[in-house]
Amino acid sequence: MGELFQTLLQRPNFVVFVILFLWGIYIMAVHPNLVKKLIGLYIVQTSAIYFLVAFSAKDGATVPIILEGAAAVDPSIYANPLPHVLTVTAIVVQVATLGVSLALVSAIYRKFGTLDEDELMEKLK
Amino acid sequence: MSSHLPILLFLVPFFMGVSMPILTAKRPALCPDITLGTVIVMVIVAILNLRFVLTQGPIEYALGGWTAPLGIAWLNDSIAALIALTISVVSLITIVYGRVVVTTGLEKSVPYYTLILIMMSGLVGLIFAADLFNVFVFLEVAALTGYALVAASGGKALVYAFRYLLLGSFGATLYLLGLSHLYVATGTLNMADLSDRLPELMTSTAVAAGLIYIFLGLSIKMALIPLHSWLPDAYANAPSSVTPFLASTVTKVALVAWVRIEYSLITPTVEVSAVPVLVLLEELGVIAALVGGALALIQTDLKRMFAYGGVSHIGLILIGVSLGNDTGFAGGMFYLINDAIMQAALFMIAGAILHYHNASTLDDVRGLGHVTSPWLTASLIVVAIAMVGLPPTGGFFGKWNIILGALEAEHYVAVFAVVGSTLLTFGYFLKVFANWFHQPQAVEVKTIEVARELRFSLGMASFAIIALGLMSDTVVQYLLESVSRGGI
Repeated sequence: MGELFQTLLQRPNFVVFVILFLWGIYIMAVHPNLVKKLIGLYIVQTSAIYFLVAFSAKDGATVPIILEGAAAVDPSIYANPLPHVLTVTAIVVQVATLGVSLALVSAIYRKFGTLDEDELMEKLK
Repeated sequence: MSSHLPILLFLVPFFMGVSMPILTAKRPALCPDITLGTVIVMVIVAILNLRFVLTQGPIEYALGGWTAPLGIAWLNDSIAALIALTISVVSLITIVYGRVVVTTGLEKSVPYYTLILIMMSGLVGLIFAADLFNVFVFLEVAALTGYALVAASGGKALVYAFRYLLLGSFGATLYLLGLSHLYVATGTLNMADLSDRLPELMTSTAVAAGLIYIFLGLSIKMALIPLHSWLPDAYANAPSSVTPFLASTVTKVALVAWVRIEYSLITPTVEVSAVPVLVLLEELGVIAALVGGALALIQTDLKRMFAYGGVSHIGLILIGVSLGNDTGFAGGMFYLINDAIMQAALFMIAGAILHYHNASTLDDVRGLGHVTSPWLTASLIVVAIAMVGLPPTGGFFGKWNIILGALEAEHYVAVFAVVGSTLLTFGYFLKVFANWFHQPQAVEVKTIEVARELRFSLGMASFAIIALGLMSDTVVQYLLESVSRGGI
């Protein structure tokens, strides 16, 4: 048990990731309000991005641009650009999802006059 | 020039989709014609691409001239080319059909046709992508347009589209997590590189977790039981003109993405605590095939029944590709091509019945065989034969090869599942036909005429189903060659 805690405490980033991920799923599953479900989804997506950023962080590294005239390239002083590019793309996808889902939510509200899932199910029957 | 055909197949619908609002700003009536023209061009390009692949062999297409480790790779092999052709033909059929059976308000709607074209470009990208992150991006392009298309006609569909969105985006997030796990473990996202580096790392928990996340994410997208709950509601309530297209493409293409990953990364020897992973996947397929068929049998709504039928076929295909031998694999992929056309045809018939007779449940179709157009009855019979899997339709040869593969691998549970799901399929079509040909009380026989476009779509779909059956040897041979060459 003590060992488990030690391993966990050595990896605070991943603990945060797990907490965010589970918290998001919990909100998605439990809250009947559609906007709150969306917030849950957003937290889950953010946790995935947090994971990407957490493992690509590097102490003392700089932007991966090789200066002209630099003799030998030392990979240890540059940050790996790929995970950051993935992060940016994933954020773009996330924003697009958020746009579509908010449009859907507002259309649902205009049509049914409620955002509560239980009431919606009543009206659908 | 010919080597650029895959990117052309992607760019044609993408460019036309993006420029649709400009092209039709003054004349919105042109939308359906422009879409139809674009899809015809896609079919021609897909045929040229298939011919190119069959003569030149599979090639890796480097986007923008940047080759694999740095750039993004697309793999153009006979499986991708065949599925791209299937998707193009299915879109052609369903768009011609969409000109007749269309929900009021969508006939000339620019956003609707733009969404359809952008969805096609996403699907094409997903078929060719040989890079995990590229798959993620195209998966989301196809999924986001899919959510919007389900909700296109408003009403009840809005709520089901929202549920689809919640689950679908959650699946995409799981997929993203999975690919980042694999990236941490291997330092690459290219599937060819991954298949080189992964076998030594299979004992690592990061790799196992990554593959599980990816599988979970994609199985939400492909509606594998028990993660299928979004599909029947979304498809039963979506506008009749888009359901055939969605049902025949989205789930199948997500499965193709998984098949690419599975085929290059998971060999029959891969085990997790002494359980072979392929057998595990196969059992999931067995469950999906049987439970999906049983759920279809108890439905009373036609669209929901056909949707569950599609869910059970996803299971069948997963069985085929997870048997670990070439016969089963080729059978599974061949069945996937057939299933795309069968699902399109089934939902076209269900939509046409709703359009002409305002009938959507089993009780509504009672005695319909005596009053409806012979085109509907005939194509329903052809599709039913193919769904049940009787020769000479393509469905038979797909199931046949899956069974042969299962016997070869000595997995008798899989054989049982294929036969069992065939019986269940037979059962629910029996229910449909018992109502369809029920003798009506009144004896006024007045058949209706269906529109020319609908006759074209139904005729094309039935023709394709039978033609695939007759050409099954050739197609399965192409698939086998592509597999044994280490393609895909």
